[in-house]
Amino acid sequence: MTSTAPVNFLDPAVLGRIGDLALLARTVVEGFMHGLHRSPRKGFSTDFAQHRQYQPGDDLRFIDWKAFARTDKFYLKEYEADTNSAVVFALDASGSMDFKTGPVTKFDYGRFLIACLAWLSQHQGDRVGLMTFTDGIAEVIPPSSRHLQLMLHTLGRARATGVGQLDSSLKSIAHLTPRAGIIVLVTDCYEDPNVIGQAVDVFRARKHDVILFHLIDPAERELPGRAASTFEDAESGVRIPLRPEDLRTKYRTLMETHRRTLAERMTAAGADYVDVDTSRPLDHALYTYLDLRLARGRVR
Amino acid sequence: MSFGLLFPAFLAALAALAVPIWLHLRHSDKDKPFRFPSLMFLEKLPIRTASRRRLVDIPLLLLRLAALTLLVLAFGRPYYSRDVEAAMAHRPRAIVVLLDRSGSMGHTDVWAAAQDSARAKLAGIQQTDRVALVLFDEEAEIAQSFTSDLGLVRAAIAAAKPGDRGTRYAAALRAARQLLSAAPDATHEVYVVTDVQRSGVSGLAGLDLPTGMTIAAVPVSPKRRANSAIAAVDVRRIAGQRVTVAVQARVVTRELPGTRRVRATLALNGRPSGSRDVTLPASGDFTIAFDAVPLPSGRVSGTISLEKDALAFDDVFRFTLPDEDELRVLLVVPDDASGDETVYFERALAIGKAPTVRIERRRPGTLDARSLRDAALVVYWDARPTGAAVETWVRGGGGLVVAAGSRMAARPAVSPLVPATITGMTDRLSDRGGTFGEFSREHPLFTPFRDANSSLGLARFLRYPRLEPGAGADVIARFDDGQPAVVERREGAGRIVMIGAPLHAGAGDLPLQPTYLPLLRRLVLHTSGHESAPLWRLTGESWNPQAIAREPVVSTPSGEIVRPLADSAGTAVALKEAGVYSLYDGRVTGDPAAIVAVNPPPGESDLTPVDPRELLLGVRLSDQAVDADHARAAPRELEGNQGLWRAVLAIVVLVLLVETLLATRGWRGIAGHTTVAPSERSAP
Repeated sequence: MTSTAPVNFLDPAVLGRIGDLALLARTVVEGFMHGLHRSPRKGFSTDFAQHRQYQPGDDLRFIDWKAFARTDKFYLKEYEADTNSAVVFALDASGSMDFKTGPVTKFDYGRFLIACLAWLSQHQGDRVGLMTFTDGIAEVIPPSSRHLQLMLHTLGRARATGVGQLDSSLKSIAHLTPRAGIIVLVTDCYEDPNVIGQAVDVFRARKHDVILFHLIDPAERELPGRAASTFEDAESGVRIPLRPEDLRTKYRTLMETHRRTLAERMTAAGADYVDVDTSRPLDHALYTYLDLRLARGRVR
Repeated sequence: MSFGLLFPAFLAALAALAVPIWLHLRHSDKDKPFRFPSLMFLEKLPIRTASRRRLVDIPLLLLRLAALTLLVLAFGRPYYSRDVEAAMAHRPRAIVVLLDRSGSMGHTDVWAAAQDSARAKLAGIQQTDRVALVLFDEEAEIAQSFTSDLGLVRAAIAAAKPGDRGTRYAAALRAARQLLSAAPDATHEVYVVTDVQRSGVSGLAGLDLPTGMTIAAVPVSPKRRANSAIAAVDVRRIAGQRVTVAVQARVVTRELPGTRRVRATLALNGRPSGSRDVTLPASGDFTIAFDAVPLPSGRVSGTISLEKDALAFDDVFRFTLPDEDELRVLLVVPDDASGDETVYFERALAIGKAPTVRIERRRPGTLDARSLRDAALVVYWDARPTGAAVETWVRGGGGLVVAAGSRMAARPAVSPLVPATITGMTDRLSDRGGTFGEFSREHPLFTPFRDANSSLGLARFLRYPRLEPGAGADVIARFDDGQPAVVERREGAGRIVMIGAPLHAGAGDLPLQPTYLPLLRRLVLHTSGHESAPLWRLTGESWNPQAIAREPVVSTPSGEIVRPLADSAGTAVALKEAGVYSLYDGRVTGDPAAIVAVNPPPGESDLTPVDPRELLLGVRLSDQAVDADHARAAPRELEGNQGLWRAVLAIVVLVLLVETLLATRGWRGIAGHTTVAPSERSAP
C-alpha cells in the first residue's frame, strides 16, 4: 500500500483522538517511508554477503545447514540487503512532560513520534526497542524485529509522572545499550546542556548514532499570563509567586539560550538535535528526522 | 432636572466595593497555582514580590466596580424629577377654583372680593390649560366643569351668590378630587377662595387627596369682623284663660366697636307680634325677652329679626312652637288601693315640664272612647286593662302602661292588652331584695341611664310578680334573678309596656331613688309616643317625617315640593335651606301635619379666620404638600420617573457581559486555559 497519509492525520489534535498507536503509526508512516531509503548495514537478503557464527536469539531459519554438516558448527548466512540496525527509543516520562497548552501534552506528542518512527524503522528492517525513564529507567524493551507491537503496547500504558533526572537516566541507557545502534532521545531537556552533552558523548563513544528530539510546548517559549500568578513546578511542587509579564523577556532569553546551547553541544558531540514544537504537525518532526539521516549518508 | 433615590440607605452597600479591590490586590494568591513543566529558568530570575501587591487588570476592576455600583443604585430606586419651570413648560394645567358661598361670605366686605379673587386666578391661563368652578357651602356644586373658555367661568362666577348655609371644605375638596381625576395628564391646581372659617374644617380629617394636587387657599376675610347674631330661642307657653307664649332670644355679639342699639322684632306665622329696642354689648351674650303674646291656632312658626348688619344671614332666626305642651295621663287605680300607694308616682310625673304631665285618676272599667280621646297615656295601676274602647284606642296609637303587682298576681286572667302573664309573686325579703339586672341600653326607656347604668341597680325590690312574656313581647329589662322586669309589645299603632318592678314604696325603694323620676318620665314619653320636637334645626341636618305622615310630602322654604323616598334608614329629608319646611300627608293642601324651622349653623356667624395651613392639617397628603409654589408631577409621571432602576439593571447585565467576555478572552483567558493535563487524559 503506497497511499499518502492525509495531512489531517499529522495534526497533533487529530492524532490525539486516535487511541490505537499501531494504527496511528501505520497511518502516518505508510505515506512517508515506503522505498525512501535502504540500510547500509548487512541484513537478510537474496544477495549473499558472508557467514556469521550463530548467536542466541538468531532466527534458526537462516542457519546454513550445509556449513553445519561440514564444520559441525552453526553458521548463519548474511546477505547484502537492508540492514537490521537496532534503534532504541528513549522517552522522557517525567512529570514535566505532562503539560500542554495545545491539544496534546508533550508526553503524548513524544509517544506519537516514537510510534511513527518505530513503525518506520520496523518497515525499514531495523530492530526497534524502547526505554522510558524518569529519574532512572522505568521500562525496557530490547531492540528486536518482533518487538514493535510490544513496544507500542508499552507506550500506550506509559504515564508521565515523577521527578526526572536526565543525567542519570541517560547514563543508564548507555549502560543498557552496549552494541552500536541508533539512540533516539525524546525529552524536554530540562537539564544543563553540558550535562546532556556529556551523556551523549558516552553514546557516541560507543558508536551510537544519537538523535535528540527536544519537545517544547508553545507556553514554554512564551511564559503565559499577565496577572500575578503562582507558578508551581510540575515535578518538584516548588511554587514561585510572580508576575509573568514582568519576567517574560528575560525568560524568553534564557529559554532561547538554553535551546541554542543545547543544539551547539549536540553538534559538537556529533549528535542530531531536533527542536520540536508540540503545536506543529507531526510530519515536521519526521521530515527532519529523515533529512538528518540522509545528510549523514546512512541511507543509500 | 434633578435626581434622587427613594431608598438612599442602600448606598451603604457601596462598602462592598472594597471586595473586588481586595480580590484584585490578592487575586493570584487565591488562584489555583499554575503548574509549569519546570521552574528551572524562572528560579534564575530575580522576582519582586512587592510588584504583585499592586492592583492588577485595572480595566477589569473598573468594570466590576461599575457593575457593583450600578447594582447598588438600582436597589436604591433612583428617580428623577423635572424642575418647576420644566414641568410647567411641558404640562397643561387643570385648575379648579373652589368658591365659598356659605352664609358668612354674604358679608358686605367679602363677596365682591371673593369674586375678584376667583377671577384673578384665571389670569395667565394658557390655551392648553383648563379651568373648572365649584361653588360650595355645606355641599359642593360644580358650576362649571373643565373648560378652556374663560368666559364661561367668569359668567359662572358672576352668577354665583352667597347663601345662608354653613361651610364644609371637605365637600369642596372631594368635588375637586373628582374633577381632577378626569385630567390625569395635567398639573393639578386647586384654589379655595374662602373666608377661612374654623367651622368648615369639620370632615377634613382623614380626607384622602391624590398626590400631586396643589392646594392653595385664597383668604378673603372681612377687615371688620364685628357681627351680632341670634344664636338661640326659648319659647314658653303660659296657661291661662287664653294660652299665650313668651319668647326669648339669645343674641351673640363679636368684636363690635361698642354697644349697639338695635330693634328686635318677633313675628308669629308671619305676623308681627312684638318688638324690643335693646342695647347689645360689644362682645358677649344678650337675651331679649319679648312680651307674651296670644298663641295662634294651628301650626305656629315664628321669626325673630334684628336690624341688619354687615352680615345679614344670621340676623333672622326661625323657630316653631310645639304642638302641645301637656300630656294627659289617665291613671286607673283599683278601688282597694289607697291614695298613698300612687302618691310617689303622681308627684314624680307632676314635676316634669315641656311637656307637663296632667294625671287624671280613673276607676277600672270607666274608660270609654270619649274619655280616651285626648289622653296621651293610660296607666293601669295593678289592674288588668279591659274594655274594647281601650283596646281600640291603643291600636289606634295610644300608649298603655300596666304596673303589675300583687293584685294582678292574685287574680290571674287572660287579657289581650297584657303582654305577659303573671305566674305568681317572687319574695326577695330573705336576701334583702332584688335589683335590676341587665337592661337594654339602647331602648328609649333607659336613655338617661346609658352612661350611669349602675344607678339603676341601687333600687331594691322586696316582692314583685313573676312575668312570663307572651307572643310578640320583648323583655327590655330583667331583675338580677333573671326574671323579666319590663316587657314591651307593639299593639297596632300603639305601644304597651308592662312593668313588674314595684313603682310604689310598699314593695321596694325605687320611688326613693334618684332614678325614679327620669325612669317614670321616659316611661310616659316613650309609651305615649311623645317625642319632644326641637324648636329649630340646622341646615345640613336631615328630618325623618315618616312617624308623622304615611305619605310625606314636604314643601321647602323656596317653595319646592319634595316627596322623600324611603330607604333602609327610613325616610329622610335633607334640610338644605334656611327657612320653614312644611310636611303634608299625601297632598299639599290644608294645614301642614308638621313644620320644621331651619337656621344656619351658629358657627357660621364667627368670622374669626384661621391660618389656611391649619385647615388641611388632617388631610392625608403625600410629600406633594400643600404649596402653591411647587408644581408637582402627576402620579403616572412620578411612577415613570421612578422606573430608572430597570434601565440601571439592564446596564448592570451589559457590564457583566462585557466583563465576562473580557475575562475569558485574549491574554486573560490563557492562564485559565493553560492547565496541566490530568494523567488519565494522557492515555491515547
